[in-house]
Amino acid sequence: MNLPQVSLNVYPRLEFLPIATSFVEKASIAFGLAATEALALTLATEEVFTYLCGAAAAETEILITCRGHGYYVEEEIAFKTQEFDMRAFNLTSASSFDDDGCARETGLLIASRMVDLFRFAESGQRLCLTLVKEKAYPPFSGESTPQTKPLKEFAIRAPEPEELKALVSLTNSHYQHHLIPSSFCYPGKVVDMVAAGDYHAAVAVDARGVIGGGLVWRRESPKMVEFYGPYLFAQPAESTMAEALIDACLHDLARTNTLGLISRHPTPEIPANYFEPLGSLAFRQADGALLEVTACYRHLEEDLGSAVWADPRLESFLSREYHRLAFAREIRTVEDAGESSWPFSVLSAEFDRSQARVTLRPVWWGRDSSETVGCHVETLRREGLSCLLFEMDLGKAWETRFTPALLDSGFEPRLVIPYGGTGDIVVFEHTSDGSGS
Amino acid sequence: MTKVALDRLLPEYVRTFAAYIPSKPDAELMKLYGCSRLFRLNNNENALGPPPAAQEVVRKYPPPRAAVYPSGDVYYLRHKLASLFGMDPDQFIVGNGANEVIGFVIKAFCEKGDNIITADKTFAVYEWMAQFSGFEPRLVPLRDYAFDEEAMLARIDARTKILFICNPNNPTGMYWSEERLRRFLDRINGRVIVVVDEAYCEFVEADDFPDGIALTTEYPNLVVFRTFSKMYALAGLRIGYLAGNPDVVNAIRRTCIVYSVNSVAQEAALAAVGDREHIARTRAMVREGKRFLMKELARLGLPLIMGEGNFVMIKLPMNDTLAYRKLMAEGVMVRTMTGFRFPNHIRVTVATMDAMQAFVQALRKVLES
Repeated sequence: MNLPQVSLNVYPRLEFLPIATSFVEKASIAFGLAATEALALTLATEEVFTYLCGAAAAETEILITCRGHGYYVEEEIAFKTQEFDMRAFNLTSASSFDDDGCARETGLLIASRMVDLFRFAESGQRLCLTLVKEKAYPPFSGESTPQTKPLKEFAIRAPEPEELKALVSLTNSHYQHHLIPSSFCYPGKVVDMVAAGDYHAAVAVDARGVIGGGLVWRRESPKMVEFYGPYLFAQPAESTMAEALIDACLHDLARTNTLGLISRHPTPEIPANYFEPLGSLAFRQADGALLEVTACYRHLEEDLGSAVWADPRLESFLSREYHRLAFAREIRTVEDAGESSWPFSVLSAEFDRSQARVTLRPVWWGRDSSETVGCHVETLRREGLSCLLFEMDLGKAWETRFTPALLDSGFEPRLVIPYGGTGDIVVFEHTSDGSGS
Repeated sequence: MTKVALDRLLPEYVRTFAAYIPSKPDAELMKLYGCSRLFRLNNNENALGPPPAAQEVVRKYPPPRAAVYPSGDVYYLRHKLASLFGMDPDQFIVGNGANEVIGFVIKAFCEKGDNIITADKTFAVYEWMAQFSGFEPRLVPLRDYAFDEEAMLARIDARTKILFICNPNNPTGMYWSEERLRRFLDRINGRVIVVVDEAYCEFVEADDFPDGIALTTEYPNLVVFRTFSKMYALAGLRIGYLAGNPDVVNAIRRTCIVYSVNSVAQEAALAAVGDREHIARTRAMVREGKRFLMKELARLGLPLIMGEGNFVMIKLPMNDTLAYRKLMAEGVMVRTMTGFRFPNHIRVTVATMDAMQAFVQALRKVLES
């Protein structure tokens, strides 16, 4: 799908700041954001741009691209890495690299608070900072929940927009907060997400249009799809509806490039014989308490096996998990042989503030990895983010060099997502007491 | 280095199409899964191997002839097929496996905006070939594990060019009888091309199974595919063919790649075709294997979907791709069915008894674990 987009090439100099902010504000409004949201994205841009003016090489040209996705505007700020010191993109990095400690706030951290998603990635010789601001939608009111009943006979099909809103309403009424994607707080947003092709949905309905259940899924990466549900409303325990919903999803994904189907918060109705438990992650419940939820996974193709890179301290965890999941893997250990290395490390951070969660990912490994990880933990905890995750791609040998820093700073490996990245992804979670393993 | 502008150069239907990644070579898989022997029960190959005469061709093929181009239009094999079926040699096109002739037919008849119709749970290549050629594949759900003629007829519109019917259907083994196929062709009344893929026809023992090639004389819009990969066990040489009405075949020939079938394949197929003894021997092996599987899978309490062809489909109480991995570790390779839109099912090639026993033993172990 070709998305509408506009771009601006600009040098990171303060005299060009009004051009950058004006461009983003006008583009946001043109792509459908209301004035308040457009302003938030503009202010975030101002923070980032100002930050880059201080940190970037002054003559590094920046490409700002805004894209309209229907229910959100995505702003991408991209530039070449060759002329840029990537340390500037550590959330914990102050504008001057000479400052010690990690207590100071940076423009990047401030910007992250103004948007719904904030992501930084490095690919090849390109750095890319992505800011996402969503349209404002009226929240789920809970005033009128559709009637439902046990369905003796049902058909599975894609819902009409009004049925989708009914599904959202029923789900909010029947399920706990942690089992529902945060988008379900806004029924109109879910409709727009399906229309944009970012969500796919199936509902189980009878001949009179009564909704008995539903399932929603979205592409998380080129090879991975995440689903939410299956949600069943007032259906008897012996109902085959959950299986039918999962079958519909699998039918849709068959013969695509999807390798895996994952749910990080499956409902109790999930048909157990379709999935393998991956491991558990903590979720923040409505009352603020943390809840351990077991993620489940289904591989969709015949596994051809592969090799993964790993730090020796992770080898036993990986061997155990691969054996349990019956994945053929050659584990190649990575050890420091005294070779020269970069002095500084860089991490990217993806925020999901609705779940008080941040996911860190390696951008560059350097000898200060322990300090970098430690500073991120301290800063993010202070931000009130209770769920700190770290995703390591075992298809990239250099990423595994973060392992000692992670384990020593209180992260624990929780689960392996086969083919979640270039190779398998190990998800580490920071334990709140920081005890580590 | 300059980056190729693939986003701009590739048509969207290719950009969004997922490339098929075939299995690694057996030796690599065995190393990865740590097994010392591997029973290949995933591709419906004939465990007895090619007929003796075809084996002799392969064994005695003179190496210097590898320097010479093969017959560009597979001359002698087409003449042999013509004499076997009582047709003209020009009514046959031989390709580098039946997969290649699927492409010939689609290229000959479809243009931008056209569609093809087939089933949702059948051999994937009709759907794929249409998709990555920029044509819409319309997928009709099976009914009782067989192609649903009413639903297929209902999907035909002015832009429909080809219907693909796999008979017997891979992977369910269900088939259309001659009466059913005739009734369907009568209702189509020449409006579109009907391709009947008879890749597994030589395994069929049912009396009412149609001879598609014979029907092409009555139904000029009927095109029949056959292969040497299954019954004749020449899968490694890649050779298959289509047959049909002279005018239709002549039209398809315009899109053919000539010289795509190598000399060894041509000569081996020539030696193999019509070997009744080989067919009888293979059918006996398949009968014995199916009887064994029926008995053993009933003991395991597993539903079996078994029709015609040298394969069966089994419903498992677990994820089929997990079962695949665990069976691989036991030295047995099956085909997972999630990709065929039968989640939690596996398809197993019916082969020799030692392979069938090894499969049942491994499956029992997997289920008990």
